[in-house]
Amino acid sequence: MTAAAISPVSSEARRALKIQREVTRLLSPLAFTLVALVLRYAYRYRVQGMAELRAAYRQVCEEHDGPRLICANHLTMIDSFIIAWALGSPWWYLRNFRTLPWNVPEASIFAATPLLRGLIYVLKCLPIRRGGDRREVAGVLSKLAYLISNGETALIFPEAGRSRSGRVDVAAAGTGVGRVYKAVPNCRVICVYLRGEGQETYSGVPRRGERFRGSVSVVEPKTDHTGIRGSRDIAQQILARLAEMERSYFDARQ
Amino acid sequence: MDKTEIFEKVVKILTPYVKNPDALASVTRETHILDDLKVNSARLVDVVLEFEDAFEIEIDDDDVDSVETVGNAVGLIESKLG
Repeated sequence: MTAAAISPVSSEARRALKIQREVTRLLSPLAFTLVALVLRYAYRYRVQGMAELRAAYRQVCEEHDGPRLICANHLTMIDSFIIAWALGSPWWYLRNFRTLPWNVPEASIFAATPLLRGLIYVLKCLPIRRGGDRREVAGVLSKLAYLISNGETALIFPEAGRSRSGRVDVAAAGTGVGRVYKAVPNCRVICVYLRGEGQETYSGVPRRGERFRGSVSVVEPKTDHTGIRGSRDIAQQILARLAEMERSYFDARQ
Repeated sequence: MDKTEIFEKVVKILTPYVKNPDALASVTRETHILDDLKVNSARLVDVVLEFEDAFEIEIDDDDVDSVETVGNAVGLIESKLG
């Protein structure tokens, strides 16, 4: 395994993250409850086997009280909120605050207005501009690595964007997840596959009334490669596991 | 290998990923890989891995953050070749 290849977080950024974490701790129970209510009652989403999914996530968190990185398939712009809702109740997150994952939503969408910026701030989000300045992107990855090094949980989509084919694409692996993973010793990677019955391909948001089903699996990526090739290798191993979970999903659906 | 050779090889590697052929036709060291050539940012890693193979070098994660223009890529490769 290569040495960490991610820039250190400045003391100023660390202070800002600590403030955000404390603000989030105070306000996220309300904010996340609102999100859960919107998903459940406005969008009328359902997660089949939600109790089992939450139990599986709870078990992984209990078995590993260290850095956790959730890696998931990516079909819509609100996946991170649906996944957080599917994995835990607002009450459970309140009692296990570190298991509520930090997210990196697209800044051009989720940080477009002051209201949205405020909302995602209290929902443990660090907006990122995909395809933007590489150093800014790297800065956000550094913050994520810093947070999970300190016992927090983060959610990253290893494909560099939503699955354009509608299926997990191992070849589309980015390097962000690998960089974060390499930078955090003893990091546990939790793969989450979640998909709605009507989700044939990627979209903005899932259709109203969508019924999701999902699974949770732990993977331990290892690579002999260094540098960017190593980061890519790690991302591809994670995506290979997500692709397996996808096959199981469709096998079960038939 | 001199800068001109590296530049030509870099452009050749970039070509299949370029979405803006007009910019490619007038490519210079100042040409921005993402903004001008419209290379998909998600595919930048493939480009960099091809650099590694073509020039038999190893590129660190941090190195990629500084590659914005064709000239940046040429400079990085030149530094790796020593």
